[in-house]
Amino acid sequence: MLCCGLAASLLLFTCATAAARGPRYYRFGVLPLQSPTMLAGMFLPLTDALQHALHRPVEFVTAPNFASFMRRVRRHEYDIIYLNPLLYTRAHRWGYHVIVKVAGEPFTGILVVRRGSPIHALVPGRLPAGLRIGFPDPNAYAATIMTRQFMQARGIHVNRDMKVKYFGSQDSALMAVYYGMVDIAGTWPPSLRSMPRNVRHSLRVIAQTPPQPQMPIAVRDSMPAPEVRRIRRLLTHLTATADGREVLHHLGFSRGFVAARNSEYRGVKP
Amino acid sequence: MSAVELRSLPEHVDSARPPKPSLFRTLRFRLMLSVALVHAVLMGTFVWSEVGKQSQAIRADLYSRAHSLITLMAVASTNALLAEDLGSLAEVTQRVKRQPDVMEGAIIDVRGDVLASTDARQVGHRLRLPDAALARQGHGRLRLEEQIRVAGQRVGTVLLEMSTRHLQSELAATRDEGLLFILLALVVGSVAAWVLSLFITRNLHILMEAARRIGSGDLGVRVALPARDEVGLLGGAFNAMAESLQRISAQVQNEHEKRTDAERLACVGELSASIAHEIRNPLSAVINSVKLLDRSNLPAGDRAQAIAILNTESLRLQRILNDFLDFARIRESRLQEGDICGLVEEVAGLIRQHPQAAAVKVEVECDAHHSRARHDPDQLRQVVWNLMLNAIQAIPDRGELRVRVERAAGTVRVSITDNGSGIPDHLLDKIMRPFVTGRKQGTGLGLSIAQRILMQHGTVLSIVSHVNVGTEVSFDLEAT
Ligand SMILES: Nc1ncnc2c1ncn2[C@@H]1O[C@H](COP(=O)(O)OP(=O)(O)O)[C@@H](O)[C@H]1O
Ligand SMILES: [Mg+2]
Repeated sequence: MLCCGLAASLLLFTCATAAARGPRYYRFGVLPLQSPTMLAGMFLPLTDALQHALHRPVEFVTAPNFASFMRRVRRHEYDIIYLNPLLYTRAHRWGYHVIVKVAGEPFTGILVVRRGSPIHALVPGRLPAGLRIGFPDPNAYAATIMTRQFMQARGIHVNRDMKVKYFGSQDSALMAVYYGMVDIAGTWPPSLRSMPRNVRHSLRVIAQTPPQPQMPIAVRDSMPAPEVRRIRRLLTHLTATADGREVLHHLGFSRGFVAARNSEYRGVKP
Repeated sequence: MSAVELRSLPEHVDSARPPKPSLFRTLRFRLMLSVALVHAVLMGTFVWSEVGKQSQAIRADLYSRAHSLITLMAVASTNALLAEDLGSLAEVTQRVKRQPDVMEGAIIDVRGDVLASTDARQVGHRLRLPDAALARQGHGRLRLEEQIRVAGQRVGTVLLEMSTRHLQSELAATRDEGLLFILLALVVGSVAAWVLSLFITRNLHILMEAARRIGSGDLGVRVALPARDEVGLLGGAFNAMAESLQRISAQVQNEHEKRTDAERLACVGELSASIAHEIRNPLSAVINSVKLLDRSNLPAGDRAQAIAILNTESLRLQRILNDFLDFARIRESRLQEGDICGLVEEVAGLIRQHPQAAAVKVEVECDAHHSRARHDPDQLRQVVWNLMLNAIQAIPDRGELRVRVERAAGTVRVSITDNGSGIPDHLLDKIMRPFVTGRKQGTGLGLSIAQRILMQHGTVLSIVSHVNVGTEVSFDLEAT
């Protein structure tokens, strides 16, 4: 047992020293849209692929919540980030720039109720009083900000007419509506799709916001241009290979990534 | 014969009391030792294997606790590790630290940076694993490591170090307890074995004691052994043996008494016949002479002859009576230390004046410095007188009588030698018996008296004789 421990320690030691001497780790920060393990399940194949392409280790990390994620972005603790368009506009100010965005599917927010709920459409004045609504995080772009803007535009004053609750992640918000802790949840399509089948089937979408630019992947401005090119190339070519499609399958982005420019996000506003 | 008996008896007594064997050679001790040994070995093996099992269980318990704990740590810290939620991770390590035996717990990200540790100083640093780990191995620590894996990939590592000090002390306690048990078993086993061996050999000891008493002559001893085992059977056989021994001994005693009674009766008969025979002739001569004297017409010549016969025969009767009384009245010897030479010279002086010794040359050879012996002077004087008298009576006219007193190993030998007629072979075997005589005037009591007195001095006469050459009669006395 001790021998095993010793061997493992030595192994770890060599790894650690190799890491210390070898190429620096790239940290891939993912906005905590879902539970960390779920995000890890989605993004680890991608970081693995990046690792191979960059010939350097790439670490997947997330954060306890949006605020701490953004603090770390601001401190440049991440080299590569995946976040929502709104937060990207902030990250851009702090020294990151978009290289690709999720392809295909328009970036929309949705409002979800239980399948048996009496609510079928968002008609102001005809909604029952005292409705409870759940969001992942105040800064969740599609799930919170876009859906709020959408309801605002229809004359529904969320803060006045409903009881608002934040659950930290998309999954939590979805589980909250599933368990009846709230009547409506704001989320976005990929999160709904990633739910277990039975949960997915007992939920119903009552509204969808107009699309916005898709979720971007951005890199540090200080990253060397060849590295940036290599990352972009890898990400935009994932659909071309079986391995790449496998990566995309885990991510749930079946159509892969397309190159994006910062200008596309100029219209994104809170 | 009796001398042999006397000498052999003490030997017999000795063999009945054998030298006590040393404790280590006794059956009792060996029995105890073997029982105690077997007991100790069995108990020792049993206890030791139990201790081994218990130790294994204690060890396995620590290992399984450590494994559960580290697995739990890994599960509990996965999300927080991915989210780099240092607060939650710190909570995990703090909780882990509160578990018994935990010395150190750390959560490390994939790069090797410590995100949380029971040792707060390590947080935020690259794990200083190597030297620390090497230095600590085998010093009462159990170090475990578990990788945190998500979707088949390592995202971090959990380290856990548990103290084995408690385990060690528990193991030591178990071992000590085991040793104590073995010791206890040894003591209990020895006592039990001692009691058992006492019980088993007690009967043997009883038998041994009984045999010893039989050896010392107590044939009435019997053993009562209630045991039905071999020793019990032996006891029965022993009793039967003692029984028959006693019976045979009684028979022998009985027969011996019968024989001595018969011998005594025969002796008395023989003695009476001899006395009667000795007395008959002189008595009938006396009676006839008295009858003759009773006649008034007895001529003077016959009368004088009859009176002469009366004189001789009545003197002879008196002599017979005196000798017989001497023989019958021999008293217990009063032994004392004294000079033999002087005594022999004294008797020789008397013999020289005896009428029959007129033509005999009497010589005494004696070393006065080496002739002291234990004897009864009056009785010895009589012995020497009788022997010298026999010698001069055996010399028909002229001759020589030589008396020698000489010192041999531990004895003083007295020998009386003459060159007289010698003793015919047919007489030689019987002359020691009373009333056996080869002379007309003899009573046949001289040698009998001498022999009886010498027997009381612990010695006997020895006679070497050749007809017409001479005779040597001798005896030994205990020198002082
Ligand atoms: N020194 C001797 N020489 C020859 N014959 C002897 C001698 N001493 C004893 N005898 C024989 O032994 C016999 C027994 O002797 P003892 O007992 O003294 O009786 P007693 O002298 O009265 O006959 C004698 O009669 C004699 O025949
Ligand atoms: Mg005589």
